[in-house]
Amino acid sequence: MNHGFRRVLIANRGEIAARVIRTCRRLGIETVLAVSDADAGSRPARLADATIRVGPAAATASYLNVDAVVAAAVSAKADAVHPGYGFLSENPRLARACAAAGIIFIGPAVDTLEATGDKLAAREHAVAAGLPVLPGGHVLPGSANATELARRIGFPVLVKAAGGGGGRGLRVVREAADLAHAVAVASAEAAAAFGDARVYLERYVSRGRHVEVQLLGDGEHVIHLGDRDCSVQRRYQKLIEEAPAPLLSDPLRDGLRAAAVALGERLRYRGAGTVEFLADTGSDAFYFLEVNARIQVEHPVTEAITGLDLVEEQIAIAEGRPLRLAQHDVTFTGHAIECRVNAEDPDHGFLPSPGTITTAVFPAGVRVDTHVQAGSSVPPHYDSLLAKLVAHGADRDQALIRLREALDRCEIGGVTTNLRMHRALLADGEFERGGVDTGYLERVWVGVVARG
Amino acid sequence: MGWWPVADLQLVDVSLRDGNQSLWGATGLRTAHIAQIAPVMNRVGFRALDFSSSTAMGVSVRTHRENPWDLLRLTRKAMPDTLLQFIGTGFRFISWEKAHPEVMELVYRCLVNAGMDRFVVLDPTHDMDAVRETARIIKAAGGREVIAALTYTVSAAHDDAFYAGIAGDYAACPNIDRAYVKDPAGILTPDRARTLIPAILANLGGKPLELHAHASLGLSPLTCLAAAELGVAVLQVGCGALGNGTSLPDAEKLTANLRASGHTVDVDDRLLAIVARYFDRLAAAEDLPAGRPREFDAAFMHHQVAGGVMTTLRRQLAELGMEHRFGEVMAEITVVRAELGYPIMVTPFPQMVIGQALANVVGGGARYDQVPDQVIRYVLGSFGKPTMPVDPDVLDRILSRPRARELADEPPPLSVSELRHRFGDRIGDEELLLRFGMPAAEVDGMLAAGPAVTRYNPEAQPVLRLLRELGQRPAASRLTVDKPGFKLELKGRAE
Amino acid sequence: MDLTNEDVADILAVLDSLPYDELDLQTPRFRLTLRRAPGGGWTESSQILSEPAGLTGVGAPLAPADGANGASAPTASSAPGAAGLVAVTAPLPGTFYRAPRPGAAPFVEVGDEVHEDTVVAIVETMKLMNSVHAGTRGRVAEICVRNAEPTVQGVTLMWIAPDPA
Repeated sequence: MNHGFRRVLIANRGEIAARVIRTCRRLGIETVLAVSDADAGSRPARLADATIRVGPAAATASYLNVDAVVAAAVSAKADAVHPGYGFLSENPRLARACAAAGIIFIGPAVDTLEATGDKLAAREHAVAAGLPVLPGGHVLPGSANATELARRIGFPVLVKAAGGGGGRGLRVVREAADLAHAVAVASAEAAAAFGDARVYLERYVSRGRHVEVQLLGDGEHVIHLGDRDCSVQRRYQKLIEEAPAPLLSDPLRDGLRAAAVALGERLRYRGAGTVEFLADTGSDAFYFLEVNARIQVEHPVTEAITGLDLVEEQIAIAEGRPLRLAQHDVTFTGHAIECRVNAEDPDHGFLPSPGTITTAVFPAGVRVDTHVQAGSSVPPHYDSLLAKLVAHGADRDQALIRLREALDRCEIGGVTTNLRMHRALLADGEFERGGVDTGYLERVWVGVVARG
Repeated sequence: MGWWPVADLQLVDVSLRDGNQSLWGATGLRTAHIAQIAPVMNRVGFRALDFSSSTAMGVSVRTHRENPWDLLRLTRKAMPDTLLQFIGTGFRFISWEKAHPEVMELVYRCLVNAGMDRFVVLDPTHDMDAVRETARIIKAAGGREVIAALTYTVSAAHDDAFYAGIAGDYAACPNIDRAYVKDPAGILTPDRARTLIPAILANLGGKPLELHAHASLGLSPLTCLAAAELGVAVLQVGCGALGNGTSLPDAEKLTANLRASGHTVDVDDRLLAIVARYFDRLAAAEDLPAGRPREFDAAFMHHQVAGGVMTTLRRQLAELGMEHRFGEVMAEITVVRAELGYPIMVTPFPQMVIGQALANVVGGGARYDQVPDQVIRYVLGSFGKPTMPVDPDVLDRILSRPRARELADEPPPLSVSELRHRFGDRIGDEELLLRFGMPAAEVDGMLAAGPAVTRYNPEAQPVLRLLRELGQRPAASRLTVDKPGFKLELKGRAE
Repeated sequence: MDLTNEDVADILAVLDSLPYDELDLQTPRFRLTLRRAPGGGWTESSQILSEPAGLTGVGAPLAPADGANGASAPTASSAPGAAGLVAVTAPLPGTFYRAPRPGAAPFVEVGDEVHEDTVVAIVETMKLMNSVHAGTRGRVAEICVRNAEPTVQGVTLMWIAPDPA
């Protein structure tokens, strides 16, 4: 009789490692944390039942090293690997290598990862599933069709890499004269970053709302767990997220959710995943952006309003169980907002601020997902996320008040953080009204910095 | 006759129901305690959990003001791989009154819908008609597994041939999937097991046999080891503080002993230890007594009256100024038991036999001048057909009482539609069944209390308790609790 | 002891109405401090003190030591100081003290000259005082941890600018 995973290797670090460990502990699953040399003494390392070294500090040699991660899982006799987010979480090579080693990869199937990782392929699936996409198309090798394509789409256009995201291989082109050069540069960047030089064009929408829908699928059935708004971003890095997305009309909200489920069903999605959209609330229009085939940083706001544990659901699905919930079992209560507290200096170009944490005081009574405590080192090799503060309330106003109070009680010493920026944003009238678009942060923060 | 020198054993854990009932008066565990550990218990590898009963559901409502149906649903969700067992006689639901068969059908259907999948069919008098009927109802309601009890006792009537006969009946019943030897007093010795179990297995038609033997006399851990060699497939156990004592053998120890004897037990040791230590810490945090290994008591083997019951009897006699007649009463118990057809000494029969023995000795008239209602109902067959015939003279004396006629003429139990008529159409089946079995005030109280808390951390309790006590009395401006491995400091505003 | 977020909420529900402003709970594995915040509500600060249980003999072999303070095992103190500074790390988890006794002068201040055996701090672990030695001849460049703060093993307590060889 299958009684589930006995031991899981967590192939990640930081707050998500601590997060996954927490659920595994509650379920009785033994945890082995993969650590680089920089993380061997970290708080998650102390929470895990055991740790296993995967390499030196540099991510490419450790957390991004498929062979090292799989070897660690095999050595540790893990039944499964949880890849967290970022790093190898959507990497088909890791998923395949795990399968070959007889270890379950806690995430979607290999062919799903290949479909969603290739932005062009994902776009084609979206179109086939009936989702609205921004006008666009594939740039053929040699860019023969680029000009005609761009003319058809209409300027300004965005040149995007097919092989990956995160801002690399991305170029805005406002005039036809700049197109050829932009395509060449983006292509080269993409080749360097992803080993895949393919690019495509899309209508460039400078402002809209970034709204995403959380999915859960077991390979047969797909349900959604509501939407989130992540419009407060800087250079495609999210800083504040909330659930549900505020100030959406019912048709728009229902449309987003149905579209996400339709795409999930077409992909026969298995696991937890998110479909990202660009929404234009003025016209109630929305466009597919991409699929993130992993658990996301901002998942706590969805957990807060649904009462679910997404990591537990991921594990259950990976153990081969059918979805435990039907759509009508999913209920939403209240509103939740999350701030990402990063070790960076918003007053100086958001320069990362590694170092050693001397003080880590957090607000009691709200959810804080963190991996740092007094004495923790913040290495320069990885992202700068220190903690997520998540406040839930009966409505958005209450969640906002609680989050403001929580930020006031947050004190992190030893590194520079973006706490002051969060406090300023949460005090801003425009944010308080809700429904800000993706241009909001750059616009407002410049103003706040200027005011000192 | 078979001998399995090396066998693969499975375990059924009784901590949550029989352990809780034997050691903690059925009231020790709440929803929070169970919900917290359920996901871990699912992964241990137990074949099933002895999870609930009428009594347990009544305690949920009455004592804890928590909804037992919600508890079942919640547990089922957390334990997809483990059978959850309900034990009952098939005649009643929570209340002592007999229920209409339609009502019992509804009970089983609601239990199945809420997630119960294994059902004990238990008739202490081994009334086969009743057993077959209950098994039929359970299967019709969608019950996945039916396990029938062979309730063990020592008496002239209950020899190996008697049990072999029952086993044969169980083998022939298509609605019974497996059987178990139920030893509530813990008096089955390894020696007796070596003849009894082969006799049962030879007649069980290949259906699996389990053993459920209480550890009250320190015998069952040994009897279980003997049973493993005799072809018993599953042994029932309790974990940590909820094992041993008057509960079932300790799971960790029995597993170790089975393996030391060459058998295999496919449970996750690490998780079994987590579950056991959880119950240990819970017991410590809630001031509940932990089960401890017990010593053999030869006198008990004769009268089979549980320690707690004897203590109560002494007290009752002392209150009547008749403690010096304790020996007389004990002797009368043996006689009454024989006259009443050797009921097996499992609730409610010990209370009944003792009640009659007491009445006979101290009643101040002839024997059977006083007969409690329960004894009258017993001879009327309300608790099932007595295993052996009741002594004809005694039967005559009891049935000729006017009260016997009254009880025999009692109206039959209400059907489902009559219940609906009484309680209304607008409540669901689950609430209807609770209202049928319990006073309205208790059900109302449960509903008013709202959803139960579903998480519990034994480690946090000492701190919480200390803080609550501080709330009751004036506090010093600074307080320190300093113990090995634990230091708590509270500093007041003056600092 | 493993206290969750919800346990802390339960504790605060009772603690909030008591006339206390601070709760400090310590076990060998775990330390939790709850403080009433001036503007209302409470703050929490916690430390997991238990040592990581590295699986030995498996996983990628250790890289050769990179010259930091002679430590032979990977430690948490990997934040690089300015080029050439040598870290003084906590030998054990516990409480960091800069002086031999409360009220006494600190062992060293920034700028002080030290040699290998100079005692620069104490880490108190379960009532035992462990001396921390500079390990290097040079000048104290930076003190990284506040007096009486809890520390975990391997954390950089201070940086020494070594004397030129």
